[in-house]
Amino acid sequence: MRSTATEEVSSSSVDMSDPAAQASQPRLPQTQSAGSAGSGNAATGSGSGNSDPARPGLSQQQRASQKKAQVRAFPRAKKLEKLGVFSACKANDTCKCNGWKNPNPPSATRLDLQQQAASLSEPCRSCGHALAEHVSHLENVSEEEINRLLGMVVDVENLFMSVHKEEDTDTKQVYFYLFKLLRKCILQMSQPVVEGSLGTPPFERPNIEQGVLNFVQYKFSHLAPKERQTMFELSKMFLLCLNYWKLETPTQYRQRTQKEDGAPYKVDYTRWLCYCHVPQSNDSLPRYETTQVFGRNLLKSIFTVTRRQLLEKFRVEKDKLLPEKRTLILTHFPKFLSMLEEEIYGENSPIWEADFTMPASDGTQLGHQTVISPAAVSGSPALSKSLSGGSSTVDSGGVEPIPGEKRKLPEALTLEDAKRIRVMGDIPMELVNEVMMTITDPAAMLGPETNLLTPNAARDETARLEERRGIIEFHVIGNSLSQKSNKKILMWLVGLQNVFSHQLPRMPKEYITRLVFDPKHKTLALIKDGRVIGGICFRMFPTQGFTEIVFCAVTSNEQVKGYGTHLMNHLKEYHIKHNILYFLTYADEYAIGYFKKQGFSKDIKVAKSRYLGYIKDYEGATLMECELNPRIPYTELSHIIKRQKEIIKKLIERKQSQIRKVYPGLTCFKEGVRQIPVESIPGIRETGWKPSSKDKSKEVKDPDVLYNTLKNLLAQIKTHPDAWPFMEPVKKSEAPDYYEIIRFPIDLKTMTDRLKNRYYVTKKLFIADLQRIISNCREYNPPDSEYCKCANTLEKFFYFKLKDGGLIDK
Amino acid sequence: MSADTKIAELLTELHQLIKQTQEERSRSEHNLLNIQKTHERMQTENKTSPYYRTKLRGLYTTAKADAEAECSILRHALDKIAEIKSLQEERRIAAKSARVQSDNDPPRKTMRRGVLMTLLQQSAMTLPLWIGKPGESPPPLCGAIPASSDYVAKQGDKVAARVKVVDGDEQWILAEVVSYSHSTNKYEVDDIDEEGKERHTLSRRRIIPLPQWKANPETDPEALFSKDQLVLALYPQTTCFYRALIHTPPHRPQDDYSVLFEDTSYADGYSPPLNVAQRYVVACKENKKK
Repeated sequence: MRSTATEEVSSSSVDMSDPAAQASQPRLPQTQSAGSAGSGNAATGSGSGNSDPARPGLSQQQRASQKKAQVRAFPRAKKLEKLGVFSACKANDTCKCNGWKNPNPPSATRLDLQQQAASLSEPCRSCGHALAEHVSHLENVSEEEINRLLGMVVDVENLFMSVHKEEDTDTKQVYFYLFKLLRKCILQMSQPVVEGSLGTPPFERPNIEQGVLNFVQYKFSHLAPKERQTMFELSKMFLLCLNYWKLETPTQYRQRTQKEDGAPYKVDYTRWLCYCHVPQSNDSLPRYETTQVFGRNLLKSIFTVTRRQLLEKFRVEKDKLLPEKRTLILTHFPKFLSMLEEEIYGENSPIWEADFTMPASDGTQLGHQTVISPAAVSGSPALSKSLSGGSSTVDSGGVEPIPGEKRKLPEALTLEDAKRIRVMGDIPMELVNEVMMTITDPAAMLGPETNLLTPNAARDETARLEERRGIIEFHVIGNSLSQKSNKKILMWLVGLQNVFSHQLPRMPKEYITRLVFDPKHKTLALIKDGRVIGGICFRMFPTQGFTEIVFCAVTSNEQVKGYGTHLMNHLKEYHIKHNILYFLTYADEYAIGYFKKQGFSKDIKVAKSRYLGYIKDYEGATLMECELNPRIPYTELSHIIKRQKEIIKKLIERKQSQIRKVYPGLTCFKEGVRQIPVESIPGIRETGWKPSSKDKSKEVKDPDVLYNTLKNLLAQIKTHPDAWPFMEPVKKSEAPDYYEIIRFPIDLKTMTDRLKNRYYVTKKLFIADLQRIISNCREYNPPDSEYCKCANTLEKFFYFKLKDGGLIDK
Repeated sequence: MSADTKIAELLTELHQLIKQTQEERSRSEHNLLNIQKTHERMQTENKTSPYYRTKLRGLYTTAKADAEAECSILRHALDKIAEIKSLQEERRIAAKSARVQSDNDPPRKTMRRGVLMTLLQQSAMTLPLWIGKPGESPPPLCGAIPASSDYVAKQGDKVAARVKVVDGDEQWILAEVVSYSHSTNKYEVDDIDEEGKERHTLSRRRIIPLPQWKANPETDPEALFSKDQLVLALYPQTTCFYRALIHTPPHRPQDDYSVLFEDTSYADGYSPPLNVAQRYVVACKENKKK
C-alpha cells in the first residue's frame, strides 16, 4: 500500500509544470526513501497540524543534519553531480537549461546512496550538454564552499517537500518563496537574504525575553530565593517553549479572534516562518529565536491560545514529566501565566518599557541577584526581606525609596522598633538560609490534590491554591464606549450584574446595571469555569487619591471559601500598581464585618474635602476606609507571615537545643491577656535579650517597689463599696452568654492572683487590666444599669488613686 | 486499651489486608489469563469440544472462588475502616461532652466558618459507599432510602432538624443528635453551626436522619432520588436545608446530585443547578409549596 502511494506522489511531481519542481525531480526518489525509512514518521516534521507542539521540527532538523552529513561525505564526483542538478548550463549563452538532469534517473528499486556517480561527460536530459558544462564554475571552488552549497541543496529538497505537504495557503506561499530563494542562491553561489517588506530582525524592542525577565523581577523579587528561583525557571521554560512553539496560521488566527484585519499578524507570522521556524531545520537560512526578535505585539496575538495549548499539553503529559518539574509546572505555571497575561494585555504594564529597571530599593536589588545565584545574598536583614519586597509593585511616586536606607519605616514604628529590626538582622544569613531549606520542602508544596486544609490555614489559603492551579481567575474588566468591547468581557459584565443583584437584594437592579456598565466604573471579576462567581465593582478617583468600593459580592454557593478575602487582596495590589492607596466605601450593616476583616476601619484619614461630592453616599451605611501599604504583597501576605512564623519557630527550636533550661509555658494568654511585656517571660534574659534603656528609665527600677505599690492600690480598690460586682469572675450560670460577648474577662480576684504571680512587671499592665474591668462591664451591661454605675464610680476612684500614687501623670 | 492504640492497631491490620488483596489479585491473574487463552484457542479452532467445555468449567469455578476470596478480603478491609471511623466518632463525642460539661469554663472559640464548611465537605466525601452482595437490596439510610419508622438516631448522628427561628419561621438545619428520650419521644440536638451553644429539643417528626451510606448509581440506581423529585438539600456553603428539585442524579459513586433550589429571586422560581453531595440530600415530606 505504502509503495503505491509513494509512486503516486513522485509521479505527480513529475507532472508539475513549475521549473523548480522539475529541477528537483531527479532527487525525489531519495527524499522519498528517507521519508519511508522513518516508517510513516515523515509527517511529523512536515509542519502540518499534529506534530509535537513543543518541539516541532526537531526530528526534521535531525534528519536534515544527518542528510547533510551524508551528502558532504560523498566523493567529489558525486557532490558535483548533486550540485549540477541545481546549476545552470554554461555550454553557451543561448542554453537556458538551469540544472542538469540525469538521463538515467535512478529508479525506485535502487535507491541506495552508494550508487555510482554520473560521469562528467554524461549529457543532460534536457539540454544535451554534459554534466561538466553545468558544474564548470565549481572547478576551483573550495571544499568548504561546495559543502555550504550542498547544505542548501538538502534544504531546498526539504523545502520542496514542505511546499508539497503544506495545506495552509499562507504557509505554502512562504515555503515556496524560500524554496525559490535558496535555489537562486545555489545558482549564484550567494548568501540567502530574505528580501521584501518584512524588515530585518529584531522586529520589536524590548523583545519577549526581556519583557518576561522584567516580569519575573517585577512580580517575584519579593519572594524567598528558592521560590524566586522557581519563578525564574518557569520563565526560562516558558521562553524555551515559545521558541519551539508552532504559531497558528493567519487563517486560524482570523477565525479565532474574529478580527477582520489579520494583516499585522500575517506579517509577523511570515517573519516568524522565515527567520525563526524554517531556519530551525534549515540552517542555510540565518536563524533567530522567536523570543529575541519579537516583542509584546506578537505575544499579544498568540498568548491566549499558546497558554491554553501549553497548559493542556502539560496536563496530558504530566506523567512524563520529572517529578520535580511536575510540581513546578502543575502548581505554579497556571498562576505564572495568569499573572503574565495581565502584564501582556494590561494597559500600562511597566515590564515593556525600554528602560525598565526596578526601583533601587534594597529588597529588589537583592531579588535580581538571587535570581541568578541564590548564594549571592549576604548581609541583608533577612526577616524584613519578604516584607520590604512589596515595594516592587510601586512604579512611581508613593513611597520613594530613600538611598542608603535599608528599609523605610512606617511612621508608626518608633526608634525602638527600628532597633529591634536591626537586632533581627543580626541572625547570620547562613543560618536563615539553612532554616529556609528546611521549611521549603518541595514535597510539602505538592501535597495531595485536595481542597481540604488544616483548620489553622489562612482564610485565603484555599483561594490562593485554586488560583495557582488555574481553577479560579481574577480579571479587572469594564465597559467602554469608545471601543467595541469584546464579547467575553460583555458576558462577564452581565454575569457580574447578575451576581450583584442576587447577592445585594436591597440594591435596585437597574442601579446595579447602570454602575457595572458605566465606563468609569471597573470591576474585579472572579471567574471559575468561565463563569463569574463574584467581584468587586469600584470607581477610581486618581485626582482625589482614592477609590470607591461600590459593590462587593460572591455568589452564595461559593461563599466561605476565602474568595472575598482574595478578591480584596487582588484589588489592593491592583491599586498599588496604579498608585492609589486609599479605599473608601459605604458599608451596610452586613458588610461591616467583612470590611473589618479586610483591614478597613471606621476611622477615616482621607480629608473630607477629597471625597465629598465624589463618593456615592448611602443613607444608613457606615463610611469605612482602608489605607494600603505599597510594600505589602497583599495576595501573598498571609503566606509570608506563615513562613515567617515557621522560620521563627525553627530558630527558636535551634536556640532551645543549645540552652537546656526548660520553663513551664505561659498561661496568661489562655486567661485572656493580649500582651505581656517581654521581660516578664521566664528565661528570656538567659537567651541574651536585654530590655531597651528607654523603657527602663521610665519604669520604677526596683520590681519590689512596684509590687508593693500595686498591692497597696489593689487592696484599696477591693475595699471600695462599689467594687462588689467585680470581685470574682462572672459565673456562666448567672450570665450564660457573658463569655460569648466578653472575649477578655478579668476581675479583681484574678488580678490579685496575677499580682501574686509577679505578672504585673509594669504599671502599664496593671492599669490595662483595671481599665478592662470597666470596659467589659460597659460592653455587657446597659449604661443605666446598677453595674455600670458601680463601674463609673470605681473608675473615678482608681484613676484618682493612680494619680495620687504617682503612677500616671496629670 | 486507649482509642489511639486501638486505631493504630486497626490501621496495621488494614495495611495487611490491602497487601493481601494485591497478593490475591496476582494469584488469580494466571487463571484469568488461562481463560482468555482458552477462548482464543476455541475461536481459532472454531468448535466447542467437550474437552474445552470441561476445561472452561473448571477454570471458571476457580476464577469465581478467587473473586470471592478477594471480595471477602475487601469487605473485611471495609469493615476495618468502618471500625476505625466509629472509634474516631466515639472519641469525638466524648471530647465534645467533656467540653460541654465543664460549664463554668469560658467556652472555647468556635471554629471559623470556612473550616466548618471544609469539614462538612470532607464528611460528605468520606461517607462510605454501600456495596451489597449480589441480589441484596440497599438497606434503609443508604442514599434515598428512608430510615424505618421506628428508627432512632444515635448520639453523634447528623440529621436535618426542623427548628423555629427568631420570627416564628421554621427552618431545616443541619444538626447533631445529643440524646433521645424514649419516654417523651423527643430528640435533643445541637445546631452544627454553633456547637454546644444552641440545643433544641424536638419531636421525632422534626428530625430526618441523613444517609449513612452513599448509594452506587451503577449498581443501585433505585436507591437514588430521581429527576424532578422534591427533596431537602443542604445549600452549598451553608448549614441549612432548603426545598429543591433533583436536576440530575449522580452517575458515578463519587458524583453529587445536581439540584434546583426553590428560590423566588430567580424568574422561574428556581436557582441554577447546584451540586449537593448524597450525604446532604433527604426526602421532603411536605409537598405544598410555601
